[in-house]
Order: sequence, then structure tokens, then C-alpha cells
Amino acid sequence: MAQGQIEKGALGRELAQVQFGRLYREQGRAVLAYALRRVDDREDAADVVAETFLVAWRRLAEVPVGAAAQLWLYAVARRVIANLHRSKRRRTRLGGRLAESLRTELATHPVPNGEAAEALRAMAELSEEDRELLLLVAWEGLSPGEAAKVLDISSLAARSRLHRARRRLRAQMEGDKPVTVRSSELDTEEAR
Amino acid sequence: MNTREVEATLTAADPVDRDRLDQLDLEAMEVELLADLNGEQSDSPFEVEASRHRVEASRRRRPRHLALVLAGGAAVAIAAVIVVLAGGPSKHASRAYGAELVRFAESTPLLLLEGPGWRVEDVYEAPDGPYRPRGSAGEGSMEFVTGKPIPDENIRSTQVGKPEHVKGSTGPVYMKFREQGMLPPSMRQRKVELRWSRRSLASELRYAHEAPHVHGQHWVRLPVLETTADVDTRAETFVSQGGRGNRQMTAYWAEDGYLLELRAAVPDLAAFEERLRWLTKVDSQAWLGAMPPQVVKAADQAATVREMLRGIPLPDSFSPSRVPTAGLTTNRDQVGGAVISTVSCLWFRQWDEARRGGNRTRAGEAEKAMSTYERWPLYRELHRGRRYPAETIPKLVAGMPSGRYEWRPGKWRRILPQVEALGCAREGIPVLPWKQRRQSER
Repeated sequence: MAQGQIEKGALGRELAQVQFGRLYREQGRAVLAYALRRVDDREDAADVVAETFLVAWRRLAEVPVGAAAQLWLYAVARRVIANLHRSKRRRTRLGGRLAESLRTELATHPVPNGEAAEALRAMAELSEEDRELLLLVAWEGLSPGEAAKVLDISSLAARSRLHRARRRLRAQMEGDKPVTVRSSELDTEEAR
Repeated sequence: MNTREVEATLTAADPVDRDRLDQLDLEAMEVELLADLNGEQSDSPFEVEASRHRVEASRRRRPRHLALVLAGGAAVAIAAVIVVLAGGPSKHASRAYGAELVRFAESTPLLLLEGPGWRVEDVYEAPDGPYRPRGSAGEGSMEFVTGKPIPDENIRSTQVGKPEHVKGSTGPVYMKFREQGMLPPSMRQRKVELRWSRRSLASELRYAHEAPHVHGQHWVRLPVLETTADVDTRAETFVSQGGRGNRQMTAYWAEDGYLLELRAAVPDLAAFEERLRWLTKVDSQAWLGAMPPQVVKAADQAATVREMLRGIPLPDSFSPSRVPTAGLTTNRDQVGGAVISTVSCLWFRQWDEARRGGNRTRAGEAEKAMSTYERWPLYRELHRGRRYPAETIPKLVAGMPSGRYEWRPGKWRRILPQVEALGCAREGIPVLPWKQRRQSER
């Protein structure tokens, strides 16, 4: 009986390694992009990727299949980043290796200017929830329903919050001028 | 500036250069990571508890090396990836698997459906052991899907019209039905089921020809792999299926000692022919490489059972060994069904024995335990996925105080035979007294 269990355990581990490898190959780049967009240092992004996939490894049985895996990983990466910001812990050797590659391969980030810089400045004034929702849609290219899964809120709430967040962002970009939303615009927003 | 322009501006402010990111050599990073992590302790996702304790202890001691220690678990996995990559441009993973894993793969016909965008969604091997259904040795099935996962169908068939006298029947029978709950053809046609067994092709074909065909019979022969299959092109089971662009077909053939059946909902014969053409014989390495994550979830049954038992009150007669091991079970739902059925059978057996013996305390204990089913994480999981036996449990629990359940308005039946339908006797825990007697006589 015990031998059987060991064999099954070995089977599980072998399959898990293959699944994990596939997950890394399919989603590694997306998670890296997600991290790079949200942390100041590329070295931190390397840590976020490493820790996100380690969580995935330890909880592989919970990782959903197909496209939903990416949303699951984004949700994990979001929590990893929150912890990173809270703890400000020291970078590790593992993160350092990945970070070194990032430094050499992604030598420079495009520096935003003009309206893009203005948009980023305005984004900084929004709440974390609003900002994350907007970024998931604008940068990660998620639908409101998919963003809702990352944020663990209902799809309806995500649509409603997204609409309000866009209005707030627009208000920020227009210098806090009161924003009037036309009914036709509202319809378009709700229909998305 | 309107909202759309704001969003466009925001999109343009994306700090990540997609092209550069695409050029990034992640594989090379994996090699570096592996070199860095070589020799570190590796954890399995099925050793989460032990791993968590280790990690937490380590976190307290050495916060500066947190990620490195955590990363130990990834070392083996990354190694697997690298070996796969080192195998060259092969379509399938070419790493060397362990003997046990290969044995598991080779207990199947090693077939994959290699249509564009299709994947293995589930694998099922017939349970092993003394309560295995007769003739099911070597039996199994695989489900291939494309696109999003397809929910299980819950079809209700209602008789309509008047019963008719038909040739061969001993009395009037209903010939018209109305079905509800069938998934739309667009969803049904995203799934292909491959079944295998050791039965004879001749007897299976004879049975298939004799089986009722709601839209008449039409058979053709089509090439598959290295042989030819007999294809039932009107294999619809339900009356409402079978219209234009909405067909059900089954191919039967024999190969390598297996009887093989490929079943699919398709728009037409050409689509079915295409699915047969996609069927490819692969080696065990490629087959294992195509396994879906949920196969991993249940591959280690002992750990999976432990995880599934969380939050479930257990009778004193329970032990994990009570849950049928069913060989190399690869389907999480199957394990979940076995766990919830085993626990329920044991509680119902205690309940019935206590009632018959006049022990109200023990009967009440069983009723109380079963009444908490809605809080069991496993029940919730099965209920969410509409998996058996989630929809049966509430009815059984509702019938506990009286010992009866209302199967039709105003019509009552004893609850125990219904409980037995959970597979209690098959799992070695018969609840009906006569089945218990028969078990003790064996």
C-alpha cells in the first residue's frame, strides 16, 4: 500500500513538473510584463515573476486550465507585489539572476512623454483599486469580466467601477474639472 | 478629451515594449536560474503542508533568502522545462519519464487528437480492485476539447403524446420525447470522446446495430489510423439532436488489442472524418506531455483525498483506506465522488443501524453530520461543477429524519435504496441489510 502511494506520488510529481513547465512557457512572459508595469525596479519584477511561479508550483492543483490560468497568475502576482511593497525586503540571488538578464535584454524602457506621461501622472492620483482595474484593461488587454476575476469581484461591479475609474482619470487629466458624461457615452460604456 | 481618448492615451503609456519583451530569451534565464538553484531541495505541490512549514520556518530564520528557498520547489520543474527544450524542435516533450508514469501511459492506447487548438481535457481509467464493474478491465476514456471547458449536460427527457404499439414491444410504448437542458451544438461540437476497452469489436458492432436509433440507421466505413472504422452516422440518442448541422456519430474499430470508439457531435460527416484524421498514435512521452492540469490534481490520490476531506465531519468508522483507490485515478471529479460517497455511505449506514437498534444518539449524530453538507468544501466544488453526486446529497439528507423521500408528488419511497445508488456496496460499504449479508457471505 505504502509503495503504491509512493509510486502515485512520483507520478504526481512528474506530471506536475511537466504541467509547471508548460505553464511557465505559456504565461511567463505575460506575468513578467504584468510585473514590469507595476514595480519601479526591473529587479523587483524578476522577484515577482519568481515568487508568482513558485506559488503556482506549490498550488498547481488550483491553477485553472487554459486562458483562465493567466488571470489566476495575475491575481497571485498582484498579491506578491502588494507584499513586496509592504515588506520592502531585500532582493534575492534568484531575483538577481533574472534581473541581470532583464537589465541586459530590456536595456531601456520607453520613457513616456506628452499625453502618456500626463496619463501616468493622473493614474498616480487614483485609488489602488481604480488604478489596477484600468491597467488590467488598458495594459493587460483584459475584458472587464476577466479583470473582475483577477480582482475577485463580480463582473457587474467591475464594469461599474471601470466606468467610474475612467471618469475619475479623465477628470484628473483635465485638471480636476467637473466631467459631464453624455448619456450616449454612458450607453457605450455600459455596453462594453 | 472623451473617455475613449483617455483610454487610448493610457494604452499608449504602457511602459512595456512588447517587441522587446518578445525578444527576451526566457529560456536562457531558466538555464541561469537552474544553475543558481542546482542542488536546492525540491518540493512537490503535493507536499504543500510540509513545504509550508519548512518555508515558514525558513522565513523566520533567513528573511534575506526567502525567494531562493521558495524557489527550490521550482528547480525540478524548471529542469523539466530545460530538458524538454533541449529535445529540439519536436512537437512533443521528449524528456525521459519515470517507469511508473510510462506504465500508466502505456495502459492506454496512446492516442491523441491532434486537431488545431484541441487539447486533452480529461482522462479516465476504469477503477481497479474487488468492486470493479465486471468486464471493465483495461477500460478507459479521454475527452478532447477545443476552446473553453464544456460543462456537463443535465438533460431531462419528458414523454410526450400517447404510447404507441411498435413492433417487438410487449405493450404500448412512448415514442416521442421532449428534451431539455441539452447544450447547444456549437458547444457539443467542441468535444470528442475516445473510449477504449478489451471487448470484441464484433460483439460491440452487433450491439450497436441492435441499439435504438431515434433517426434510423446509416453506417459508413472511414479510414482511421492504419485501419478502417465502422461509423454509425446517426448515433443520436436524443430526438432533438439530429437536425441539419447537428449530428452525433460514433466510429468503432479495433487496434493493438483494443476496441476503440470515437464519439463526437459534428455538423456533418466531413467534420467527423476530419476528427478521425486528427487521431494520432504517439509514444508515451508525447502522451504524457499532453496531460491536462486536472490530471495532476488527482494523480496523487492519497494527498488529494486528504485535501478533499477538509471540513467534512467523519464517522468513527471512517479511515482514508475506506476510499477506493481505483488504481491510478486521474480524474479529480472521480476521486471527489468516491470521497463524498464513502463518507455519506458510512454515515447512512451508522444512521440506519442506529435507528434499527433504537440508538437515537448515534442516529442523530449521523443526521447532524450529514446536514452540514452545504459547508463541505468538496460538496461545494462538486456542486459548482454540477458533478455527481452533488445533486443527490441534498435529497438524501432531506429524507433522513423520515427515512423516505418524495420521488413524485404524493409518492414516497424508502431512502436507503437511493443511498445505495451512491455506489456504497461497490465501495465495500453496503447500506441495505441484504447487501450487507451478501457481503459478509463473500
